[in-house]
Amino acid sequence: MKTWQVSVKLDNIKKTFGNNVVLDIPDFTVNSGDIMGLVGNNGAGKTTLFRIILDLLQPDEGGKASINEFITHNTEDWKDFTGAYIDAGFLIDYLTPEEYFDFIAKINGMSKEDLNVQLQKFEHFMGGEVIGQNKLIRNLSAGNQQKVGIISAMLHQPGLLILDEPFNFLDPSSQLAMKRLLEDYNKETGATILVSSHNLSHTLDICTRVTLLEHGHIIKDYDQRENNPGSDNTESTKLDKQQIIDEIQHYFEDNQ
Amino acid sequence: MNKYQLYRQISKNKKLAAKRHPMFERNKAMKIFGYCFAAFWAVYLIIIGIALAFGLSDASCEAYDYINGGFIIFLTIDFFMRLGMQETPAQDIKPYKLLPIKTNFLMDIFLIKIGLGVINLIWLFFFIPFSIKAIWLLPHYGFLNFLSYNIGIWLMFVANGYWYLFWRTFINQKMIYILCPTIIYGALIYFGMVNQEWLYNSSMNFMRGFINGNLLSYIGVIAFIFVFFLINRFFQKKFIYKEISKFEKVKNVRSREMSFLNRFGQIGEYLKLEIKSVQRNAVVRKQFITGVICMLMLCALFSFTEVYDAGFMRTFICVYCFACLGVITLTSIMCVEGNYIDGLMSRRESVLSLLKAKYYFNCMMMIVPILFILVPIFKGKVGIWEVLGCLFFTTGVIFPFLFQLAVYNNTTIHLTNQLTKSGQSSKSQIIVSMVALFVPMGIMYALITLSNQTIAGIIMCIIGLTGTILNPIWLRNIYKRFMNHRYENMAGFRQTR
Repeated sequence: MKTWQVSVKLDNIKKTFGNNVVLDIPDFTVNSGDIMGLVGNNGAGKTTLFRIILDLLQPDEGGKASINEFITHNTEDWKDFTGAYIDAGFLIDYLTPEEYFDFIAKINGMSKEDLNVQLQKFEHFMGGEVIGQNKLIRNLSAGNQQKVGIISAMLHQPGLLILDEPFNFLDPSSQLAMKRLLEDYNKETGATILVSSHNLSHTLDICTRVTLLEHGHIIKDYDQRENNPGSDNTESTKLDKQQIIDEIQHYFEDNQ
Repeated sequence: MNKYQLYRQISKNKKLAAKRHPMFERNKAMKIFGYCFAAFWAVYLIIIGIALAFGLSDASCEAYDYINGGFIIFLTIDFFMRLGMQETPAQDIKPYKLLPIKTNFLMDIFLIKIGLGVINLIWLFFFIPFSIKAIWLLPHYGFLNFLSYNIGIWLMFVANGYWYLFWRTFINQKMIYILCPTIIYGALIYFGMVNQEWLYNSSMNFMRGFINGNLLSYIGVIAFIFVFFLINRFFQKKFIYKEISKFEKVKNVRSREMSFLNRFGQIGEYLKLEIKSVQRNAVVRKQFITGVICMLMLCALFSFTEVYDAGFMRTFICVYCFACLGVITLTSIMCVEGNYIDGLMSRRESVLSLLKAKYYFNCMMMIVPILFILVPIFKGKVGIWEVLGCLFFTTGVIFPFLFQLAVYNNTTIHLTNQLTKSGQSSKSQIIVSMVALFVPMGIMYALITLSNQTIAGIIMCIIGLTGTILNPIWLRNIYKRFMNHRYENMAGFRQTR
């Protein structure tokens, strides 16, 4: 089993659409092995941030996102150890889930045996509704499409995993399975995981670090682990789960 | 809000929907192209109308009698012309369905809009100039006869529009229904005009009623319009509920391994994607089948007839036997992939592998024309150098040209759109496909004029073979340029997804 050392560094990331500044992060680091939860209202800039990290969106001039030593818009080297699922735009929906997993495995250089071993790990998460259905991905329910996307992002055991709203569309038992999957994966591989969610409780259950993003700015950065160095330039606050929930709820109430 | 205001509001919403569609920028290019095309046809119809007015009159029969007798042919052309231009109102009504407006009233508004549509006036470009000479200027007729005739003509096309709408509702459900009106029109023309003359005579008499202001003719056509208005209202209402409760029939999919492609590694995986995309996506399949049919038709013309045996035309058709599938499918290169571009872009060089797979797939399809063209080669009708020249010119010059569109295309094609939905093309797609069609013609013409067909074939072969062998270089160059355009392209794909 690999033990990853992957960090993400954002440097002067700004994104404007017309006159509207949707993201403005001067400096921020996600340390290796962190499970970082990004919370915020709709339009806070969570998906935009993930897209910029993944080089799917160009930041304004001067900004750069780096994964380890690789600046994402200069090279493709980081793609070998990064897995991501943002939305259905990641899925080739005219394939069956089996065909899609097979495709992902082969382009990542995995053997059929490796693929089968990996898929076994997701058996509980799939709940018997994904594999063996003889259906195209586009004919699966939104929840099952979400599962296919998440599994395909994790299949090649990436050192950096980015999931946008992974709990969306999932039923309660799949949400619990999802949480366990991410925690176990982080423990086993030391991978860095970035998730965004509207669900504060789920985010706090699994994340070592929670960052509140509003109107494109990082408002709060909480660290649930003792002795975690946190971000270089963001003052991280060490609080327990309930305190964080209370603080975030107060923030939203005050800023309604 | 009264009924008229509501009608105005819905009309305004329809205009805004077109104006604010993400495709609007591309629509502009298409619109200019469309306006030029429409202007050409308007002028063409006017010229034909005047020419027929002069040419058809003889001592025994007036020009208008000929045209009126064969009016079914105009109606047939009009019907099939509408397939690409006029859609049903059921989808338009959907957003208004939950508003406190009666469905019947809404449906009436949309049906009236269809009746008053510009599409029903197109044929007047033919009939007005025709009837000026053939009716108005005749000694026994005058302006009123001319006017009443053209009003009658307009009503006939309005009636044809509602008749079309009736069938279009069913065609939207299943493409096979297109056979019904085809058979009806075919049978009417064959049994009413070619075999016997009952339709010709009755059509002539009925239409003469319009010239003479005979109320019975007007009542007849208005009754038809009214009846089909009610029939359409009934079926369209049923169709709305089908639209709202629509679910795609989910078929069990049989997965095929295609293990013979495994030896090609990552490119083999993308080749499998190409094949599955054609098998499982209606739009891609339609495009591919159209291309193959064109290719087969050109091959058959070239191999089994003597239509294109003359010097330059022979080479020209031979090139298009090879190139037409590519011209049809590659003009929208990457537009299908726009549906899952984020997934591709988050994996290293996946777009490069995809481009290579597309190139090899199109090269493999060359086997079809090669098999056909063996016939004229054995007959001695065409030289081997000429055929090789055409083959490699396609794979080494025309394909690299078409692949340039991968850099500029940024509009997603919806994979499961209805077959009859009119397509959209961007300015660059139109320009590149035109260039791909006409530049080879210019080069070949120059080569054949300056030398002979064998030497021209050898030169084309050398140029084409060089381009074919260098495919890794130009494909990587296209990939690099694609990557330079990636943010713009990804934004375009997402907006139009």
